[in-house]
Amino acid sequence: MSSRAVRTGPARSGDIRPLSPVPAGVALFPTVARLGLPPVAEPRELWIGLHLPHLPVEALGASGDVPRAVLEMKGQTQFITAMCERAESFGVRPGMSMAAALALIPHLQMQPRDATREKQLLERLATQAQRFTPRVSLVPPDGLLLEVKGSLHLFGGAEALCRALEEQCRETGAKPLIALTPVPLAALACARAGHHCLVTEPTHLVGQLAALPLTTLRWPVDVLDRLKQIGVYTIGEAARLPRAGFARRFGKSQLVMLDRVTGKLADLRLRFQPRERFERRHPLLYDVEHHEALLATLEPLLQELAAFLKARQCGITRLECRLQHRHAPVTRCLLRLASPAANASHFAKLLGERLAALPLPEPVRALELRSGGLVSRAPFADSLWRPGEHGGGVSAESPELIEHLRARLGHEAVYGLQMLASHRPETAWASTDLEAPKTAVHERELPTIASRGAGRSSFLTSPWPVFRRPVWLLPTPRRLREREGQPHRRGPLRLLSAAERIETGWWDHADITRDYYIAVDIHGVRLWIFRERAAPHRWFLQGVFG
Amino acid sequence: MEANASGADTSRAELGRLLEQHPAIWRGRNVARMETVPTGFAALDDALPGKGWPRAGLVEILISRVGVGEMCLLLPTLAALTHRPSARWCAYISPPFEPFAPALAAHGVKLDRLFVARGESSWAFEQSLASGACEMVMAWAGQPQAVDKGLSRSRVRKNRTAERHAREIRRLQLAAERGRALGVLFRPQRAAREFSNAVLRLHVQPTEQGVRVTLVKSRGGQRGAIDLNWATPSSSNPSSSTSSPQAHGS
Repeated sequence: MSSRAVRTGPARSGDIRPLSPVPAGVALFPTVARLGLPPVAEPRELWIGLHLPHLPVEALGASGDVPRAVLEMKGQTQFITAMCERAESFGVRPGMSMAAALALIPHLQMQPRDATREKQLLERLATQAQRFTPRVSLVPPDGLLLEVKGSLHLFGGAEALCRALEEQCRETGAKPLIALTPVPLAALACARAGHHCLVTEPTHLVGQLAALPLTTLRWPVDVLDRLKQIGVYTIGEAARLPRAGFARRFGKSQLVMLDRVTGKLADLRLRFQPRERFERRHPLLYDVEHHEALLATLEPLLQELAAFLKARQCGITRLECRLQHRHAPVTRCLLRLASPAANASHFAKLLGERLAALPLPEPVRALELRSGGLVSRAPFADSLWRPGEHGGGVSAESPELIEHLRARLGHEAVYGLQMLASHRPETAWASTDLEAPKTAVHERELPTIASRGAGRSSFLTSPWPVFRRPVWLLPTPRRLREREGQPHRRGPLRLLSAAERIETGWWDHADITRDYYIAVDIHGVRLWIFRERAAPHRWFLQGVFG
Repeated sequence: MEANASGADTSRAELGRLLEQHPAIWRGRNVARMETVPTGFAALDDALPGKGWPRAGLVEILISRVGVGEMCLLLPTLAALTHRPSARWCAYISPPFEPFAPALAAHGVKLDRLFVARGESSWAFEQSLASGACEMVMAWAGQPQAVDKGLSRSRVRKNRTAERHAREIRRLQLAAERGRALGVLFRPQRAAREFSNAVLRLHVQPTEQGVRVTLVKSRGGQRGAIDLNWATPSSSNPSSSTSSPQAHGS
């Protein structure tokens, strides 16, 4: 087998080798050809296989010393899918039922599986692994492959490189199993088996693989079962079976996989593409102190950013502008957007507001623009009709105004209003973060009083009669002075209505027992006041009828 | 007009018809034809030019203090504007207190079209008006009581302040026209003496049953006072009951 690999290797890859003195026609006779070429012992590629057995647990974040396990529903019962090393040492294994695991470790902490966080951690590890080689590929759900042939001499050999990689993964919070072989699938199989091997010569590969169990190839369960019935457990045993019969009985794809693991067939892997970001640095020829000048120099960068986003039909929701000074630390200016945007003039407007409010410790030497992750975004068609008016589309400009206001006033200074199901005035409303215009469907989801109120109309209704609640609410009730038992505010208050008692909230330690009145002061302003039912019977002002 | 009051109605109607039809007579009132939003009060609608609040422009409401009934005057409009198909935003710029959401909802206002912005009122008001993303923007001009206390101020300085105010209002009026938004600016009562470029200026005073609205300035509309009564708490629709437009002739 090895002789074949030596002969066909260079031809397949298209490598340019120094012309041998042997004429081309002689290649028909293998023996002669072998004489002409030097024996190639060195492989063309070297792959590190990285297997993360505890990934589902590690993806959920670090947690002290408590043994942990991750559960998954299978049919009616929950089974363990992964556990941390500590739990493993107690004897917890994947596939165990929850009850069995708890019998082994009573204080075992169990969490449901989170596939998206697993994927995020794997992608993060892949991004970090790009420090070692540009050729990193993901093997979901729990593996990575790195082609490191070209990087070996940079990191001091195979062993040092593997150690550095392992160190890096541990820093991120994942404990990997690592193996290095000239063939990607073989590296993965070795890593999955926990067989820490460093095979740099193709001739040694088969010997290392032969003892590995077939489960490391992750074949379908029924195929593995049938192989078990005929007494085949390892890769070596499977490779010894007659090829035609093997393909007929266990499937062609399994045979292809066997060829790949031994390096007989090429194994192509997709390269991992890290998330794209926009990052540009612009050194200034002279120091800039004025905001207008800064904005003018930012302009071409923003144009470039807009073109970059437009080409990808994407938008961004975060944009950071860093201003570098001679001595002082970098001044940062972070822009957060309510919806993905890709418009240069919009960015310029918002950054202008931000920069105007930003104190500069020193003149600026260089500018840097960094975008957040790209978000896909449907570009708007430029229409004759302005959005939101006279038959134009849904108001597309609204988030821009909100962002503009927020850029100058601060994120919390601009908010929406929301009604909550509560009889206590303080908790009957809440401020909301504004988003893009909502649809009517969303309205119904809100836990409003409307759903319980009498008579569903097309809009939200509150169960109270219109003139019983004030249009304005004081942030906190204001104490009213009292003369001869009557409330005073710039003169005596005249009560217009009978008492309305609100007595609720005993369940959350913010209970109120109050008698509310509508009162009018000497200027004719109608007020919403209350008197405490508890001992001092103090009067408070809580609202103003507009 | 008051002089020939006897047999008034028929002759006045005839005169009106004549004036309308005569091609050589041009009346200022007709110029003020503009897009409006009904106020929700029939009596007020009748008195306003174009039968309602201007669709785009600045309205000044003069009040002695917050809470004299100025919000009740605007709530029907606010409710109607938030219910338009593809409605734009309605904004509160630095309101004196927190808008109470349940009460607004009870008046039929759609809450998800509202937002509140606090800080730098003048800038935020102008930006919101001019953006074209707002149907209606309300702002509360600061109560300049502390400044007014200095009685020894020279007349020149007072004039300068008024001038500055007028310039700012002109800018806001232009912004409102540009953004096709209804801007409502609440100002203290004493500002009535200052010149203003707003389309409409009202003075709102509380009465026992509701409010008295005095039209201080209206382009091409009539002047005078209108009494509006809030409905009794049992019915939910605010409606006007009595009205006494005292026509002064413009």
